[in-house]
Amino acid sequence: MAALKPVTILLALLVFASTLFVFNTSALSENVATSAIEKAEGLMVSAYEAVLEAERAGANVSGLLARLKVAGEGLAQAHISYRLGDFDDAARSADLCSQIGEEARVEAYELRGLALEEAVQCFRWTMIRSILGVAIAVGASYLGWRIFKRRYFRRVLGMKPEVISSES
Amino acid sequence: MNLEEYRTVFAVTSLALMLVAAAPTLSMVVAFPRGVERFSELWVLGPNHMAEGYPFNVRVGEEYRVFVGVGNHMGSSSYYTVYVKFRNPSQPLPEASNSTPSPLPPLYEFRFFIVDGEGWETPLAFTFLEVSRSDDSCFVSQMSINDVVFSVDSPSSWDSENNGFYYQLFFELWLYDVTSRSFQFHDRFVGIWLNMTI
Repeated sequence: MAALKPVTILLALLVFASTLFVFNTSALSENVATSAIEKAEGLMVSAYEAVLEAERAGANVSGLLARLKVAGEGLAQAHISYRLGDFDDAARSADLCSQIGEEARVEAYELRGLALEEAVQCFRWTMIRSILGVAIAVGASYLGWRIFKRRYFRRVLGMKPEVISSES
Repeated sequence: MNLEEYRTVFAVTSLALMLVAAAPTLSMVVAFPRGVERFSELWVLGPNHMAEGYPFNVRVGEEYRVFVGVGNHMGSSSYYTVYVKFRNPSQPLPEASNSTPSPLPPLYEFRFFIVDGEGWETPLAFTFLEVSRSDDSCFVSQMSINDVVFSVDSPSSWDSENNGFYYQLFFELWLYDVTSRSFQFHDRFVGIWLNMTI
C-alpha cells in the first residue's frame, strides 16, 4: 500500500501536467489562428487596394478579382472555423488566403504598372493629336480669313457706283 | 454684314474647332462629375431561383435552400462581406436608417469581390438539427448552414397573433471602406421568416 502512494501522486501530477499541456496547446493554436487571420485580412486588403489602383489606371482586373474571390472564401472559412473553435482549420484557411492574396497583390501592382505605362502612352498620343488638331484649326481659320478678306475687298472694290438720274 | 461681323463669325468658328480638337485631351485631364447614384443590391431568392417559394414552415432535419445575391453599382470593384444571422422576434434587427447592424453574432459569412456593374450569387442550404418544443415555447439548439453546424440556442414564444413559433434568418451586407480601412455596415439587409410550428 505504501508503495502505491508515490505512484498515485505521480499519476495525479501527470494528469495535471497533461491538462496544462492541452490547455497551453489550445491557447497556442488560438494565437496562431488569430495571427494567421490578421495577416490574411491585411494581405486581402492590400491586394484589394492594389486591384483598385490597377483598375483606376485602366487595367482589366476581372481575372485578379476571380482569384481574390477564392481567397475571400478561404478567409470567410477561417472566420467561421475560428468562431467554432476549430483553430487548426482557421489557421490553415487563413494561410491559404494569405498565399493567394499575396500573389494577387504582386500581380495587381504589375498590372497597374503596365496600365499606367499604356495610359501615359495613350495620353501622349492623344495630346499630340489634339495639338495637331488645334494647330490645323488655327491655320485653317487664319488662311480662311485671309482668303475671305481678299475676296471681300475685291468684291467691294469691284463695285461700280451707280448714278441715279433725277428728273427734277 | 460688314467686315467686323464676319471677323467675329470666323473667330467663334475657329474657337469651336479648337475646342473640338482639344476635347480628347481635355476629357483625360478634367474630371467631369457623373450624376450616377452609387449603390449595392442585396437579394434573397427562393429554391427555384425566383422571388417566390421561400421556405416558411420548417421542420427539423429537412434541408432548405435559398440563393443570396449582391449587385455592385458603386462605380468601382468592391469588397463585400455578407453575414448570415439568426434571430427570434424579440432580438434586434439592423437599423438601416442609422447604419446600425444587428448586434447578434454572425453564424456564417461570405467574403467576395465584385467588378462594377456585375453581381455575385451563391446558394445557401440550412437545416434545423435540434429543436425542442413545449406548449408555448420553442428552443432551437442547433442548425447547420452549408453543412457547417452551429449552436444557436434561441428560444421563441408562441405568437398567438400569427399562430406560430417564428424565427428569422437574415443577411447583412458590409462593404470595405478604403478611407477608414475597415468593413462598414452597408445599410442593406434582407431576411426570411421561418415558422417552426410543424
